[in-house]
Amino acid sequence: MARPAILRGWFLIRRDLPHGRRVLLTVVSFLLPLALWCVVSYVPWIWHPDVKIELSAEREGVTTVFTAGDHVSREFFPEFVEAVRQENAAVLAAREAGTPGSGAKRKNQKLLRQLAPLAVEQGWLDYTDGQNDAVLYHVWRDLATGARTSADPKLTPENLDIVRRNWAVMSALSPDFSYKQLPDEPLLKIVPQGMPANPVYLPAPHEVFRAAKRDFTAEVPTGELTMGQRYRQSLHIIIAGFLWACVVGIPLGILCGVFDFFSKLLEPFVDFFRYMPAPTFSTLLVAVLLAGDAPKVALVFIGTVFQMILVVSKTTRLLDPALLEAAQTLGAKPRQMITKVVIPGILPNLYNDLRILLGWAWTWLVIAELIGVKSGLTEFIETQGRFRNFERVFPVIILIGVTGFVTDQILSWLHGLLFPWAGKSGNFSRAVASFVSWPFRMVAAGARERIAASEMSTPEVRRNEAS
Amino acid sequence: MSTHVELPSYREQAPEVAARFARLQQRPVALEVSGLTKKFETPRGVVTALSDVSFSVHKRELMCVIGPSGCGKSTLVRILAGLETATAGELKVYGEPVSGPGPDRGMVFQGYTLFPWLSVKENVMFGPKMAGKSSFTAEREAREWIDLVGLAKFENSYPHQLSGGMKQRVAIARALANQPRVLFMDEPFGALDAQTRCKMQSYLLDIWKNVDITIVFITHDLDEAVFLSDRILVLDANPGRVAEIVEVPVPRPRSEQQLFDPTFMATRKHIDHMMHPPGQEQKEAPVLRMAVADPDVI
Repeated sequence: MARPAILRGWFLIRRDLPHGRRVLLTVVSFLLPLALWCVVSYVPWIWHPDVKIELSAEREGVTTVFTAGDHVSREFFPEFVEAVRQENAAVLAAREAGTPGSGAKRKNQKLLRQLAPLAVEQGWLDYTDGQNDAVLYHVWRDLATGARTSADPKLTPENLDIVRRNWAVMSALSPDFSYKQLPDEPLLKIVPQGMPANPVYLPAPHEVFRAAKRDFTAEVPTGELTMGQRYRQSLHIIIAGFLWACVVGIPLGILCGVFDFFSKLLEPFVDFFRYMPAPTFSTLLVAVLLAGDAPKVALVFIGTVFQMILVVSKTTRLLDPALLEAAQTLGAKPRQMITKVVIPGILPNLYNDLRILLGWAWTWLVIAELIGVKSGLTEFIETQGRFRNFERVFPVIILIGVTGFVTDQILSWLHGLLFPWAGKSGNFSRAVASFVSWPFRMVAAGARERIAASEMSTPEVRRNEAS
Repeated sequence: MSTHVELPSYREQAPEVAARFARLQQRPVALEVSGLTKKFETPRGVVTALSDVSFSVHKRELMCVIGPSGCGKSTLVRILAGLETATAGELKVYGEPVSGPGPDRGMVFQGYTLFPWLSVKENVMFGPKMAGKSSFTAEREAREWIDLVGLAKFENSYPHQLSGGMKQRVAIARALANQPRVLFMDEPFGALDAQTRCKMQSYLLDIWKNVDITIVFITHDLDEAVFLSDRILVLDANPGRVAEIVEVPVPRPRSEQQLFDPTFMATRKHIDHMMHPPGQEQKEAPVLRMAVADPDVI
């Protein structure tokens, strides 16, 4: 039985697929990982062996402390919850029996802070401010009275009840926070809350998107940088480092490719030096160039320039030597052979080399930003990663990836515009190239005509003067 | 295929051909090669590629150099163009000793070697600009040469957009634009298909007729050599040395009809015998037996 046409012709050895199918597969290549991410994040029975704790509690007599953001196994979590419930039951039982305990002020203060992760998540509290008891006191009040509700994480009815019961005890003593006015009897603990999670701290897509929206548009306190400023800072370092590498690496590479003298003089050492990992020079760079952007730029430079010299010299050597011989027989002198044959001849390959090396430079960026005073996007990644706010880390990582990818795609497209003679450009980019270069060609043609006119007219003028 | 027609000796020249050769001898010597020797150092010892090669080419002569593969004809032309140095020997262009490459000796390579980043016009302008001419002058001259090879319509095309024959015409125009005193051509049509090669040979003769140029043409194609040449320099292999310089008795102007002239065939046969002496032919290829004989295939 013949298979339908749509299924035929997908797997042909060393044969290009038709345009439509190629585009389809390109789209799928991006959608597939995204779909996989969604499935892993949203289908509960696929891969959720852990529980990510959203609200935690400290247990009596247990030294292991879990804080919000920690992962525990799915088997252990109910045990944890049950233990806290039993402690609460004991407190209630004592209260009913008319013998509430005492001397629990210190514990109660800690207990108030159980809601800190929730307050931070809701934006009622800055994440560096988790022990601001005055604000937390009012969070308890507002949650108990219903003035505020928490949507994410949403308090379970059980916990809302606990909040109300505690607030009843607390409000009887003081409307505002004061350590002295805290209840002396034990309060009820918030029962741990959590959600199913995977063990690699991979946040769900919606969390990432929400965090991205918040972080990229957030107003920041003075003295801190917005994401846009961080982005510019990172771009500045990579562009400066890469440009310096180009300024040094391209001429040296070409010299090595053209003259065996420079090749034998420089390349062995460069070849050796490039194996020394650039980050190992970071402390040295900071010591010499001090804090600020200079050591970072220098690290990107060191990481890129040695590769660049070798790659450029290799590209230069790959130029067809017959072209040089042809130029010689046409009367080109050594200098002209470099400027009129070698350089224009290697440009398209050189351009592609630089594209690849720019990708390398990006990998050095992250390390460069960690040395000395941390800066740019990497500082944000570092800080948030330390707090396990991976949903805030991923957007920045994706931003770096997208920047690199988009830059490369644009540069690749420009290749066709800049080097129409390399024969790889499509009709469209050739048309754009001819459109873009039109004014220049017109100016050049005008100049040529003027020269022509002057060359023609000079003898005339002379003749006139003579007569 | 053997024709049992008695061919005249290639030495017999019609009176007008003999007169032409006599006049050629009167012309100044454009290129004089004397005692040219080239030795290569290899791990197995010294290999002599060329041994005491001497000959001279007169002004506006077209000489072909032919020989079995490995006879050093490419080495010879590369030395003449200055791209390689000889171990011994002397090279004079119009009486002046030369060494190293220079614009007085143009070269057309088998691999075209057009600059791919330059348009046809800019390729042809390359030599004049190297000579220090202004863009305007170079462009005006380039246009004339491009017209001469019949590519006026393609002056703004890039080499990758041209066919092999067109590329080689550009290469010829580029070499001629420099107005060299001698033009060397190293198997220039070797990479072209048979039909294009035929056309290019006629083209070359047309150009040669209209341009004051002396040509030394390297080839391994017998018909090409006889069709183009005034004289043919036949090289021996191992070591490469001059076997004979043959005066081609085929009258000019040449045309494709002459391929079957007795003079043409006699010259061709003589050189063929020199390059592949009878008795040294390869043994016949072994015959693969077919399971079923096919009477239509003999």
